Amino acid sequence: MSEREFSVKSFHDFISEGKIMGVKCKSCGTTSLPPRPICPKCGARNLEWAELAGEGTIQAYTVINVPLTHMKDKSPYAVGIIKLDDGPSISCPIIDGSDQNLTVGARVRAEFVQEGERTTLHFKRN
Amino acid sequence: MKLSRSVSVIGAGMTRFHHRIHIDKTSRELFVEATLDAAESVDNGFELGDVEALFVGNFSSDAFEHQAHTAPLMADWLGLRPRAATRIEDACASSGIAINMGVLAIASGLYDVVMVGGVEKMRNLTTEEVTDTLAMASDDIYEAATGLTFPGLYALMATAHFAKYGSNWEQLAAIAIKNHRNGALNPKAHFQSEIMDNAKRLGERRGVTFENEMEFLESNLNPVIAYPLRLYDCCPISDGAAVVILAASEVAKKFTDTPVPIVSIGQASDALSLHDRDDLTTLYATRMAADQAYQMAGITPDDIDVADVHDCFTIAEILATEDLGFFPKGEGGRAAEEGRTALDGDKPINPDGGLKAKGHPVGATGAAMAYEMFKQLRGEAGDHQVEGVRFGLAHNVGGSGASVAVQIFRR
Repeated sequence: MSEREFSVKSFHDFISEGKIMGVKCKSCGTTSLPPRPICPKCGARNLEWAELAGEGTIQAYTVINVPLTHMKDKSPYAVGIIKLDDGPSISCPIIDGSDQNLTVGARVRAEFVQEGERTTLHFKRN
Repeated sequence: MKLSRSVSVIGAGMTRFHHRIHIDKTSRELFVEATLDAAESVDNGFELGDVEALFVGNFSSDAFEHQAHTAPLMADWLGLRPRAATRIEDACASSGIAINMGVLAIASGLYDVVMVGGVEKMRNLTTEEVTDTLAMASDDIYEAATGLTFPGLYALMATAHFAKYGSNWEQLAAIAIKNHRNGALNPKAHFQSEIMDNAKRLGERRGVTFENEMEFLESNLNPVIAYPLRLYDCCPISDGAAVVILAASEVAKKFTDTPVPIVSIGQASDALSLHDRDDLTTLYATRMAADQAYQMAGITPDDIDVADVHDCFTIAEILATEDLGFFPKGEGGRAAEEGRTALDGDKPINPDGGLKAKGHPVGATGAAMAYEMFKQLRGEAGDHQVEGVRFGLAHNVGGSGASVAVQIFRR
């Protein structure tokens, strides 16, 4: 695991293994997501992998009615910014989310969704 | 920090922004039209040959028209060969940042006269294709892949702002109503009708009567695009170009008795992904760029008499008027509801109709803001002139706030 590069490919590879992997900066202690080779907080390159628990809170949400082409058959769909309990935030689809059942501050947990060959990270309300 | 040489706007021009009238034109023709309008606005006459360098703001003629390398193309069509021509791409802030680069090019001493413009020809594509193309200005891997559109990104800011400050959709509607009212007074605007006129027209077609704007805006004739944002919370998809001519202030007098000095500029960046920002209810790059500009000009937000701010979505005008320091955080929506940002309010915002009603051919928007400031500060804005303007501010945002350009203009 520690030999993998802090890259987009590694992020996706880990997701397909059912893990949300971020990086922890050994200089400033910040955990960031997605993995990248330079700490976005302090600029240090002294990083290590950190597995994130996949529990978090909705910071913001929307329900999209006019979709991107690649999401056309799923419209309308909900997307949120999830603040993970481990620190960083991430944008993700929210399973079964609607403007009726989503609120800022609601608790959500990660779901790994298999779509053909790909595994993608989603969140679901607790 | 100060500019080492004073720079002024001596002329400005633009096409009308529209979704239909430019259908048979390409971006080069729109850019030529805006340039000729700009040259004509120079009081003592202007030869295009006076231009020493050209900066072109353009987001994505690559995707919209299958045409890259746009700056030398524009220079060629203006007869400016072999002068330096540079394209600037910072999404919707492309030409606002191009203006800053033009100012720096003159302040450096290298040039005396520089032309800066912006252009976007978006309507070759369908709404769906435009939505995909605009999404390229977000993080393709970590945002667009989740299905986030640009209305979606600003909708996220809206739900976060509502939750934090108790702001609401009615305040967003107040901004749309105000900006359409201003657009109705601007002959260059994409939409030149008040929302109540649209409500009457569309209502008649369906046999419905709307008592007021809110009744119309709450109806299914104003569909949700990305909750909580509805159609009238979003700027339209427009074609258009805008051009300003900049000159070192010591040579500006040769061209006009009333040049408009750009007293300061500011620019900042932020995380491309909205989710990487500490606070989703503020555009940190706006605050940074504005602070730089206020400091360089030696003034405060209270000194600004009129501003064009980046209202690609109604929520963006709330964020902008707060982050530029015009109103305390959380109060931007209320200020709009109370009429404080109307043409006759104490802080008129987007007198030209803003992106909402004037239109938003993305690469042209920053230059069109400078066009408006040039007109406002010379008292030439016609029916949407704000009275007694001394300082004007233009605020141009790229994407969901990852790049911001600000300029302050003085009478």
